[in-house]
Amino acid sequence: MTNNYNESLESKLKETTKLGLDVVKESTEDRLMTLSVGPQHPGSGHFRFTIKVDGDYIVYCDPDPGYVHRGEEKMCEYRNYIQNIPHLERPVIHDSTNITYSYSLAVEELLGIEVPRRGQFIRAIASELNRLVYTLYWLAIYGIFLGHSTMFMWPAGDRELFIDLLAALTGARVTHAFNIPGGVRNDIPEGFKNKCLEYVNYFEKRLKAYEDIFYNNPLFRQRTENVGILLKEDAINLGVTGSVLRASGVAHDVRKVEPYDVYNEIDFKVQYMKTCDSFARAYVPFLDMRESCNIIRQLLDKMPESGEVRLKLQSNPKGRIGEAYKRVESGRGALSYYIVSDGSSKPYRVKISVGSFRNILALPHLLVGSRLGDMPSIYWALNYWPVEADR
Amino acid sequence: MRDINNDINESSSTDLNIVQSDLEIENSLYSKLSSKFNDKVQLIYTKPNRIKIYVKPEHIVEVAFFLKAKLGLDHAESVCGTDYPNENVIEVIYHLNSYANEELSHIIFALSTKTDRDSSYLPSLLPVFKSVEYHERETYEMLGVYFQGHPRNERFLLPEDWADIPPLKKDFRIKGR
Amino acid sequence: MATAPKEFRFGNFVGSLVWLIFWIIVIVSLVGLPLIFILLFYIPLPYSNGEVITPYLFLSMIVDPTRTVPIIKFLIHTDFFRAAIFPGFAYAALIAAATIFVERKFLAKMQLRTGPLYAGKIEGILQLMADGLKLISKEIIAPSGADKPIFWSTPIIFVATAAALTALIPVAPGWVVSDLDVGLLAIFAILGFFPLIALLFSWSSNSKYPFIGGLRALHQMIAFEIPFILSALSIVLLSASLNLTDIVEAQDSFWFFAIAPLSAFVFYISSLAELERVPFDLPEAESEIVAGWLTETSGMIYGLIQLGTYVKLYVLAALFVILFMGGWMGPQIFPQELIPGYSGEKIYNATVVNGIFWFTIKTFGIIMLILLPRGINPRIRIDILLHTGWYKLIVLSFINMFIVLAMIYGGILTPGGLQ
Repeated sequence: MTNNYNESLESKLKETTKLGLDVVKESTEDRLMTLSVGPQHPGSGHFRFTIKVDGDYIVYCDPDPGYVHRGEEKMCEYRNYIQNIPHLERPVIHDSTNITYSYSLAVEELLGIEVPRRGQFIRAIASELNRLVYTLYWLAIYGIFLGHSTMFMWPAGDRELFIDLLAALTGARVTHAFNIPGGVRNDIPEGFKNKCLEYVNYFEKRLKAYEDIFYNNPLFRQRTENVGILLKEDAINLGVTGSVLRASGVAHDVRKVEPYDVYNEIDFKVQYMKTCDSFARAYVPFLDMRESCNIIRQLLDKMPESGEVRLKLQSNPKGRIGEAYKRVESGRGALSYYIVSDGSSKPYRVKISVGSFRNILALPHLLVGSRLGDMPSIYWALNYWPVEADR
Repeated sequence: MRDINNDINESSSTDLNIVQSDLEIENSLYSKLSSKFNDKVQLIYTKPNRIKIYVKPEHIVEVAFFLKAKLGLDHAESVCGTDYPNENVIEVIYHLNSYANEELSHIIFALSTKTDRDSSYLPSLLPVFKSVEYHERETYEMLGVYFQGHPRNERFLLPEDWADIPPLKKDFRIKGR
Repeated sequence: MATAPKEFRFGNFVGSLVWLIFWIIVIVSLVGLPLIFILLFYIPLPYSNGEVITPYLFLSMIVDPTRTVPIIKFLIHTDFFRAAIFPGFAYAALIAAATIFVERKFLAKMQLRTGPLYAGKIEGILQLMADGLKLISKEIIAPSGADKPIFWSTPIIFVATAAALTALIPVAPGWVVSDLDVGLLAIFAILGFFPLIALLFSWSSNSKYPFIGGLRALHQMIAFEIPFILSALSIVLLSASLNLTDIVEAQDSFWFFAIAPLSAFVFYISSLAELERVPFDLPEAESEIVAGWLTETSGMIYGLIQLGTYVKLYVLAALFVILFMGGWMGPQIFPQELIPGYSGEKIYNATVVNGIFWFTIKTFGIIMLILLPRGINPRIRIDILLHTGWYKLIVLSFINMFIVLAMIYGGILTPGGLQ
């Protein structure tokens, strides 16, 4: 039948050209429309991905990061170990404690020092508070991407409580520069413990309201359930991390698998779901937030009453010759540092492996074959923070 | 300047605040590897939860297949290229980890290989680990290492009009420093 | 950024006063005087006490205010006043402006914030005026390949169509700009223009995101016009007339909402879809297609389209009130005579004012109900939307129509009330 169709088509084409008319054949390429979901788009952040759309279905996707690439890794080689902290926390300004936590752990291994116990607890508390701040911001933007403005305002408002706490603790609302190799910069202020407990208790009640109004909303469920299925084998092969991985049924959390600092004394469960769709990827951070509240309460309980918070170092510490690889669980997933030291006071090579950069590999895999309307819920559920991926 | 040729077979345990393990699992991994590949693999060090192996570029793909199929390391956390102008090599390290295998999920397996600085070609590990795709692309643009078998050895993070040498090479100096 | 004020110099002050007087003289002589001449020579003036009332006579009547009453009465009953001011465009625009402000405050309170606060003395009441002035002063950027005539004229057509709709809505007994016998059909006929306008504007913008948005608007509005009309059909069966005034007067004993709640629900959902309000705001889905078919609007074009949208909101809410909630019917709470004992000409008619009062209250209630889903729901997806519109809503409206038909045939109801 194909041959007959081609033959009759050829004869028809000959006839039309005899009449002097133009023939425009529609090829597959002509049907596709190329859209650039670029940095100038309310739904993309500082990141561009090009998609080709056939009607309502996406057939091709190509991520193109690099709009905010600053050369963090190269800059690290020009500053000594302490001077690297302020610029290393700029990739993720909300979650800055975690990105410097991993760096401090690696440098402490190279310098051969151990952080005092009270400092370790304070570091962990700041890390959990930052995780809450980041996840609330992520949830707020998820709401906006789906068109739900209340889901933007409520988390952004509740986040202010924790930012106030962090401002009282570190002196800055975001980009705290709080962790340094050797501990934390200063001790907790007076009254911090009670205020922290009060806010955490209030927030847990708010989480119940979030679950009722946002996650049990039938329209939200319709938009995110069974959308962007990432099977367990694919998730493992693509090497995704963080909440994306845990939403596909793999219970992997760096705080449990390779406990660092005092996390081996804290009792908490790894939150994961087996449904592998976008709803699971949106729900796992919510469960993580509940666990974080639990962890903060335990940390505040077990913290030693007094003690040093920082080990005094020389002003220009020199690392031993060798290399160190350390990882930490941040809001986006496993954040690891690989530092090579040649014996001087500046690192020889710093390699940062961030969760966002690893997760973006799943974007072409998930978007191809899905609808244009599902694009925001798939893209943002991958927990991708553009600035961090570019470093 | 660090000379990595002196680090062969040094098993150092560092005084850290994590639980001291007796490096049983790490050593057993190395013994399984060396029993299959004899002297194609070289142990650089074993530390608590870390092990580093050196393989020559021509054998790296089969070692990687063995690691994935038999030992259960199923993804790469990062691919790091380091430039050593003193020894005229670029060292590329794959940090591998396992999600599916619970025993190995706390071990980071560093698979390293070296290539010439002037003509740097390496076989790509993309057929083995899908997760190295963007990392290898970034290593290509930052250090100039061409991965044979990778479909897109192209610019990724750098701007479109980048006309200089690959920036993570030591020859590239940041202006003013 | 604050700047220090310049020093006061008396010469500059006098100069600015002279400048102001200059402009007043220019405007009065170039614009005001011709207007007065047009008024004197072209518009037929009313009679009172056997004399033609000219503006000079009018000004002399300020001495005795009751002499102005006949003029005002005459003016109120002209066609121009009806079309432009009272049940027509100015009333609708005023309600639209109030709606925009109330929406921003209402949503803000639901979202734990305060909304507009600084413009105006009380809680930001002059915010709308500030926004209007801002929009007027902005540059209107037309894309380079845009189809200029269509691009520039479509927003005006949009506002004009929305204003044309307000001409059919009866606000009080006897107060409707055009009392058609097929009023309901005329409303649906004019509503059918809106998908076309959206498509024209998005096509003439010559850009990809407006194109996708325009197609979505087309799909959405066409899909929901059918349940819209079907739900209104049950009301036509109950009132035996397509004339909107007759429909209201048929509800003097009970509201049609009591018999046709399903149709009311279908009408409500369809009007949310026609207005492109959340959860149906796909054509302007911000995170997927930038701003949909409104992407290339800037400055006053955006202002005109917002005005048109909110006037349409008022029209559909008013239609809901007329069809299902008894229009202007309500207990008479205004006294028959404002000034007891006054026997001159009166412009105050108690039933009319009562009707206006109840109509406005009910319309505002329905407008708040239409504004509410914006704070509660995310956006819906296009395939779920079309599935809902074509399958579920049509079925629901048919069910209600059968119920109404059964009640009429069963003899419980006749058109116009209980048996």
